This record gives sequence, C-alpha cells and structure tokens, in this order.
Amino acid sequence: MSAVLDFPVKPEARPYLDAFARGNTSEPEWLSRGRQRALSRFAELGFPTRRSESWRYLDLQPLQQKPLLPGEPELAAHDMAARAQLAGLELPGSGPRIVILDGRFASALSRTEGLPKGVWFGAARRAIAEREDLFRELAEEAPSDTAHPFAALNAAFFGDGFILDLGAGVTLDEPIEIVHLASGSPASYHTRSLVRLGEGSRATLLETYAGEGRYWRNDVVAVRLAAGATLTRAVLVEEAAEAVHLAELEATLGADARFNGFALLIGGGTVRHEASVRMAGEGARCHLDGAFVVDRAEEANIVTNVDHQVPHGETRELIKGVAAGRAHGAFQGKITVREHAQKVDAHQLSRNLILGQRAVIDTKPELEIYADDVKCSHGASVGELDETALFYLRSRGIPDAEARHMLIEGFLREPVEEIADPVLRDHLLRRLARRLERLEE
Amino acid sequence: MLEIKNLHARLEDGREILKGVDLSVAEGEVHAIMGPNGSGKSTLAAVLAGRDGYEVTEGSVTYRGRDLFVMSADERAREGVFLAFQYPVEIPGVNNMYFLRAALNSQRRHRGEPELDAGQDLLQRAVNVGFSGGEKKRNEIFQMAVLEPRLAILDETDSGLDIDALRVVARGVNGLRAPDRAIVMITHYKRLLDYVEPDRVHVLQDGHIVQSGDKELAAELERIGYATFGDPGGDTAGDAAA
Repeated sequence: MSAVLDFPVKPEARPYLDAFARGNTSEPEWLSRGRQRALSRFAELGFPTRRSESWRYLDLQPLQQKPLLPGEPELAAHDMAARAQLAGLELPGSGPRIVILDGRFASALSRTEGLPKGVWFGAARRAIAEREDLFRELAEEAPSDTAHPFAALNAAFFGDGFILDLGAGVTLDEPIEIVHLASGSPASYHTRSLVRLGEGSRATLLETYAGEGRYWRNDVVAVRLAAGATLTRAVLVEEAAEAVHLAELEATLGADARFNGFALLIGGGTVRHEASVRMAGEGARCHLDGAFVVDRAEEANIVTNVDHQVPHGETRELIKGVAAGRAHGAFQGKITVREHAQKVDAHQLSRNLILGQRAVIDTKPELEIYADDVKCSHGASVGELDETALFYLRSRGIPDAEARHMLIEGFLREPVEEIADPVLRDHLLRRLARRLERLEE
Repeated sequence: MLEIKNLHARLEDGREILKGVDLSVAEGEVHAIMGPNGSGKSTLAAVLAGRDGYEVTEGSVTYRGRDLFVMSADERAREGVFLAFQYPVEIPGVNNMYFLRAALNSQRRHRGEPELDAGQDLLQRAVNVGFSGGEKKRNEIFQMAVLEPRLAILDETDSGLDIDALRVVARGVNGLRAPDRAIVMITHYKRLLDYVEPDRVHVLQDGHIVQSGDKELAAELERIGYATFGDPGGDTAGDAAA
C-alpha cells in the first residue's frame, strides 16, 4: 500500500494513514479502492480548523493531539458489559433491534427476525453476501465524502453499520431500534449506515449512542426516501463524558416524501450532530427538531443544512438548547432555496437557555434564498430562566432547585413532544428527565 | 394570623410604594383591601408572598407568630401562605397536573405527610398556556383549594372576569372560608364583595391604609369614589360612612 504516500498529507492525518496500512485487505477490490480514495481525500483535507465556518464552534484540538485510531472489536469479552449498558437505554417492548458494539454488529444482542415481507434489515456487512446492491449504495462515496473530512475518514475505515430497506408500500408500525455502544477501549469507531424507503413506505427509527471511557464515534448515515415515503428518525446521544461523537446524516427526499428528524443530545464531551437534507422531489416535507443539554465543560453542536432544489417543499426546524457550567452549545442551521424552487415554505427557530455566568450558546440560523415566491422565516433567542415563572412555582411551595428543574424540563419538552410515536416519545422524555437530574448548574 | 406593622417597602429603583401599612387579620376572617390604581395593593401582595424586586425598609410582618421576612417565597407557601396572582403566569412545557402535584407534595413533605401520586392523564395542558382569562383565575382558585393555605391573598382575582366567571370564582372562594383560614382579597371594585362578603374592608391609598370599616365601607366607596379618601386621617370618609 505504498500508493497512499503519493499525495499531500496533513500531519494530523498521518497516524490514520499508518493505521490504514496495517489493516487487512480481504474485501472486494472495488471496496478497497474506494477506501484508498477516501483516505487520500482525508489526508489532503486533514482536520477541519475553526476557521472553517461549519466547524467554528467545536474544539477538536484534544482529538487532534491525542489521536483515537480505528479500534478492533473484541466482541466476546464485552458482551456482558454491553448488556449492562443497554439496560434502560432500550425502548420498551421487543421490537426489531440492532446493537453495534465498538463499531461491529453484536448478533447476540440484536433481533432482526420477524419483519414483514419487503423489508431488509440487518448489519451492513451481512448485505455484502445477501444484497450487494444495498451494500454498494452504502459504501459508495457520498457527496459529503469529498468535502467533509470525517465523512471521508469514515468511508476509508468503516467497519459496519446497519441497513434498513423497505419495498414500496410497506409500513412498519413498531419503531426499529439501533443501539451503538462503546466498551471503553480508547479507539475510534467508524460506522456507516443506510436507510432506503420505497415509494409510499413508512418507518420509525431510533438510533441511540452510548458508551464508556474515551473513544471517538464517527458515524455516517444515508437516508433515501422515494416518492411519498415517510421516515421518522430519532437520535439519542448519551455518549460517555470523555467521548467525541461526530455524526453526519445525508438525506435525499423524493416527491411528497416526509422526513421527521429528531436529535436529543444529552451526553458526551464533544458532540456534533449534522443533518443535510436534499429536497429533490416536489412537495417534500422535512421536520428537523432537536435539543441539546450541556454542562461542566461539554460541547454540543447541532448543524442542519436543508437544500430546496425544487418547488413546493416545506421545512420546519425547532431546536432548543440548554447550557450550564462552563459548557458550550451551538446551533448552525442553513436553509437554501434554489432559484426555481418557488412556493417553498420554510421556518427555522432556535431557542436557548443559559444557566449561570460561564456557559455559552451560539446560534446561527441562516436563510439563503434565490427564488422570489417563497415563505421563509427564521428566529433565534438566547435567554435565562423566566424569573416570573420561577416565582409562580415557588409561590406554590415548590423549592427553588425543583422549580428551576421543572422550568428547564418544560423548556426542552416542546421539540420532543413533536414525536408522534407515543412509546418513542415517552422513552425520550424519560431519558431527558434522567439527564436533567444530574445537571450541574 | 397576620400582623402587619408600619410596613414600608420600595422598588429596586428606590421608589417608595408602601409608606407605613398597618393591618391585623385574625383566623377565620375575610378582609378586603380596596384602593385606586397605584395605591400599593399589588405591592403589598407581592411583599407578603416574597417576590424579588422589593425592599422592605421598615416595619414588620408576623405570620402565625413568626417573622414572615426570614422565610423564602417557597417556605412561606409551605407554611400556608397562598397568593392568587393578578396575572397568572403561562409556563409552556410544564403540565398543570405535574405542577400541582409537585406543589402539593412539596407541602406534604414539609408537613411530614406521605407524598401523593396522582394520575398522569388528568389536566394534561401546560400551566395556564392557552387558558382564557377566566380559566386562569379559576386555575388559581383550584390551586388554592388543592393546597389548602392558612392565609390566602387574592390579588385582583376579579379583574378581567365576566359576571359568570366571577360567580364561579366567588363560589370557590366562599367554599374555602374556614375557621382556621384567613383570606385577604385585594380588589379595585366592589363587585367581588357582592359575592364574597368580607368581615373587614380597608382602603389603601398612597401606601397607607386610610380607612377601615365593615362591608358598608365598600358600598360607600362605590358611591363617592376614592378621591374623597385623600386625607390619611380618613375622618371625612369616616363621617360619611357614619
């Protein structure tokens, strides 16, 4: 693999190149070639700096200085620990579930049987033999791989992920659950997944991310919705205190397709949740809601990009943030409406609560509109707890700390309550309440 | 129950609002405090409930034998002081049932009683959000009924209510009259007093109680207006009432 040395290499990329050279090559040739291409792209790009607009609110210095190289999973040894981690994180019930431990499919903890005809749901690697078409779609360069350094790194290193494929007209009533766990070895886990919904099909998905110790999760998910398909995808990030979580979603929506994206970021040292949605079919609708809670020295970013390329689309975004301690939260949201994308209706709202003197929240909603017949608006606010509301609660005998807690939780519930599935919604509300119990103001 | 002596209070900007209020309310009594806009009625209610933004500069308030001012707002509530707000606060995201249960349980804990775990599904709306003016005031009285305070202060609970809503609210207040409970109603108009008959009526003007009497005083006020009570001595009004 000396070829990898023939291109410019940023110094911080060097350890990853060396790790790649040590990797095995028992994969199809097209895949190895793709990995090499992506790696050279990453070597050229290096880590994003804070001069890069979409990364300016995140401090990646610690990760850059102490690299976390792709880890090899030791499944058997960690099954017990994973079971313990799973407790409380799982959705109630016995619906379909995939557990990915240290970046690899954990079959003993997963349930993928009993799904209706027209559904393929399983680990990405299983698709190499069973559904090569799906695996190729997952592995092949995503648009972001060329511009987004960590998406390129992901394409070079991804070990596994999941694939959910629904044929036309299939409806899954029960939520599908994916749980990503990390057992605690200092490493990076690159997972890559694909959700493909056929015409008029419907599904609800929960992806949970949790773990122990210091690790770096680098996750890429592609979503493809055919005409009239509806996907609800909720993301719950409860990573370990020292963990770095960088996730990238790329969704493409066909005509009249609907994507309800939701993200609840309530754990992890450095967390970035990015969602890029391409509105490719007329009448597509996209809701991106979310909330983050950070305290101590945590950092969380929600970054959204919605690109209306055709007329008659709708976007709604409601993002709420709470920062306490010395934490730093940020929202960067961009909605682009192309020249011919008339009659687009887009609204974006970022509301934030700062607790204490040292916490910081940045919010940057952004509209870029080239069409002239559209309805677009955005808003942002950053404030403190409402003193009048606090007094109201206290005047009923509720102690100060409990009253503050009630107001913070009340503030954050709004986007979660947008989730239609009651089991999923209540699960997320419970996780949120649990997080707030240990909030350090 | 409540003993207010020479109470002076000012706003954070230094403006003095209460200029020596004296008032004594015994258990089981219902008192009405009337007065024109700006006389200090709502300030008196806020100071008694422990709201931030007011500074007590002189005087004392004793509640059931204890200095009221050493207690925080939530402690006062747990000790049985209840303020019905003139403008009940909307709290999006906080469910009314959850709120009431938290309030009731904080008081039960304080009294060493077991906490109640009421049903989740009742009253699922957020606190006061989307309530009409009448619904908000009824919610205040409902909270009072749940919390069973020893001293209830009703700050212009009648304002903004139509006659039907006023009757409902008045029925609620009358139902809460009890030998061990005192109620102080703050109001601009006599209207509420037609439905909730007070034992004593006080006129507050420019930060002082300028006149006290029985319920006839309210009728007097309605007839001659507040202007006549300009003299803190209150002799004129006293004569007129006699």
